[in-house]
Amino acid sequence: MATTMTQATRVNAVALEAFTPSQPLTLGVELELQLLDRHDFDLTPRAQDLLRELSGHAGEWDVKPEITRSMIEISTSVQRAFTPLRDQLRDLRGQMSRAARKLNIAISGGGTHPYQHWSEQRIFPTERFHYISELYGYLAKQFTVFGQHVHVGVANGDEALWLLHALSRYVPHFIALAASSPYVQGVDTGFHSARLNSVFAFPLSGRAPFVLTWDGFGQFFDKMTSTGVVQSMKDFYWDIRPKPEYGTIELRVCDTPLQVDKAAALACYLQSLCRHLREERPFEPAEDDYLVYTFNRFQACRFGLDGDIVDPKTKQRSKLRDDIIRTLARIEPHALDLQALGACNLIRESLTEGNDTSWLRAQRRLHPPMAALVEAAAARWMG
Amino acid sequence: MPTVSQHIADWFVSLLRGPLAGLRGADPVLGLALVVLAALVLASALHKRLRLPRLLGYLLVGAVASPVVLGLLQRTDIDPWKPLIDLAIAALVFELGTRLRPRWLLDNPWLAASSALEAAMAAGAVGLTLMALGAPAASAAAAAALAAATSPVITMAALLEARPRGQVAERLLMLSAINSVLAILAIKLWPVMAHAQGLSAPDSLTLLANASVVIFGSLLLGLACGMLLDRLGRLHDEAATMPVLQLALVILAALLAIAWGLSPFVTLLVAGMTARSRMRHRLTVEPYLGSAGAALTVMLFVSFGVLSTLHEWHSLWPWVLAIILARLIGKGIAIFATARPSGLSWRQATALTLALQPMSSLSVLLVADSFGWRTQLPGANASVIQALLIATTLMQLSGPLWTLWPLKHIAAEYGDDDDPSNEGERRGT
Repeated sequence: MATTMTQATRVNAVALEAFTPSQPLTLGVELELQLLDRHDFDLTPRAQDLLRELSGHAGEWDVKPEITRSMIEISTSVQRAFTPLRDQLRDLRGQMSRAARKLNIAISGGGTHPYQHWSEQRIFPTERFHYISELYGYLAKQFTVFGQHVHVGVANGDEALWLLHALSRYVPHFIALAASSPYVQGVDTGFHSARLNSVFAFPLSGRAPFVLTWDGFGQFFDKMTSTGVVQSMKDFYWDIRPKPEYGTIELRVCDTPLQVDKAAALACYLQSLCRHLREERPFEPAEDDYLVYTFNRFQACRFGLDGDIVDPKTKQRSKLRDDIIRTLARIEPHALDLQALGACNLIRESLTEGNDTSWLRAQRRLHPPMAALVEAAAARWMG
Repeated sequence: MPTVSQHIADWFVSLLRGPLAGLRGADPVLGLALVVLAALVLASALHKRLRLPRLLGYLLVGAVASPVVLGLLQRTDIDPWKPLIDLAIAALVFELGTRLRPRWLLDNPWLAASSALEAAMAAGAVGLTLMALGAPAASAAAAAALAAATSPVITMAALLEARPRGQVAERLLMLSAINSVLAILAIKLWPVMAHAQGLSAPDSLTLLANASVVIFGSLLLGLACGMLLDRLGRLHDEAATMPVLQLALVILAALLAIAWGLSPFVTLLVAGMTARSRMRHRLTVEPYLGSAGAALTVMLFVSFGVLSTLHEWHSLWPWVLAIILARLIGKGIAIFATARPSGLSWRQATALTLALQPMSSLSVLLVADSFGWRTQLPGANASVIQALLIATTLMQLSGPLWTLWPLKHIAAEYGDDDDPSNEGERRGT
């Protein structure tokens, strides 16, 4: 069957679509959320119930299924500033929470569910999810992890690729700030973001190839599709990837935060950073920037804000928390212009209070049963 | 001239006759123990070969051993086991209580409406149909009240066996608890109607006061037992002994309720809900309250089978059929009427309607001194009650199928045969 599918892939392989221009620095946020049983707070396969209940929702946001039936994905409309984005996320959270209470389920953020067993997960019945399940086998169910994806609008494909590679230096910031997945299969992994270890198991994950023009990227894409390994851009699970149909680049390294305000703040921190990079061009991205990429990424996943980061240009090592503080200072004028100062303040606060992983570990010390921890996390998300 | 197959059949019967005659003469306790062993073997075979619920095997072996088929055990043979069987029921009802979240009824008022409506519609449909077929009104009302209940024991045990996760399974638990409580309340109030019909009964005010004492007393006792479990759990914070503590509390609650003339069902249900609400995630309830409870559950289901009756089936079948169909239609109309506003799809409504069908004699079982529970309804028409008993037998024996088949094949709340990533599991690799 897998062979048949690969052959079909070769026949159906299509060229890379043209990059749709979009208004630079516009934003869109996607959040993958956990659906929980109110009795034991384990994951529960109730996505179809919730989708049906939300089918007539009032709001410009969208809600759709994810790979397993215990997950759901929500996405905002195109946004430009922190306050409207946060307000839309709050509205979305309110409507979803009401629907969930009606169905006797809870909803939570967090990058992993602390004690779900991947083998009990059930694939959502769509053609694409069945294709992924067939192709990747148990990895598909192990992919029951929950991330925040942020789309940033760019004017054209070349700019998208330039920004994508320039941002690679800051990827650890987002991993550490958003980290909310210390527990996997009932144990504390010691990582701040264990979720990314699950993503790393996929063959087409990690960093994008160092190509700076859309034409060059098209050639790379053609080579990949001709091998039959990929069918579309969706098959790349890179940390940051271009999204030509939306005219955006998509940052995919964040765990889903435990609160929607944090999700909005992370998105607007990225927006301000992109503006700083676009307008000031503080450095030119280079292939050698990736020499330290995996090390920095690991440090952020493992130690969170206390991890080290090596500057790919200066080769200097510093604490991630300090690097974020310096970055916040540099991007502040841009945040001011983008009306994102509130977001930067929230980010600054989380540097002192700790990320969501720190909060989860503190809760675990207070309320030892894992189910109590998940219930507390759900209460934090649902409000 | 006898055929080869007839020879084989005769040989088989003669082979069985010796041991069966021996078993009939055996001590009833030993007899039931042997039947329980046979039930375990058959249930395992049914589950492995035909993927049928194990509970069905227990029920069928009990029914085969009952006077209806082989007559190995009489209904009265079960009486010595009653305290243990009561304990098995009590453990399941307590567990059901721990699974309920009353707050859900406030979060979803349409669910509350659905719960009341399906019990009322089932009772109404059964009562009116029986009266239309010539049953006396008071006796039809008694049958209607009992027919409103879905067996919470079959529901809980079936869900523990299959472990479905979803909207239908959760509603099934909530609705079977509510319709059983309503049935108990109706049975307590039934003598008022019997009195109005000229049957012998105390005056209405006394009966109302008695019913109120039973309900509120059971509530208070359940609250107290749940709170006691919480306190003892704090003093004795060891996971290993928690099932023992829970079992002890369940026995205490059931015995006190019986001694004080309260409803053990309501008491245990409230005790479970209170314990869950106060202890939150400190309360870990093992299925059937542990392995001892699981063993008792096998005995319970075998006993349900032994209690089967088809006596007077030939003359009562129109009433039996009327009870089963009217109940199905009554519950179905209520569930479908409230499905969409309460958040159910049509498929789920179909599954829930079917899963609500297993019938229960539980509402009177726990308060009766013996399993001859007709005595609980003095003056009721014997034929109506016998028709109800036959309907209960049929819907009890087939109960696990009514519960689990729609959950799997209509609501898809367990099993995942269409999931390609399960290919390895299906091949046994």
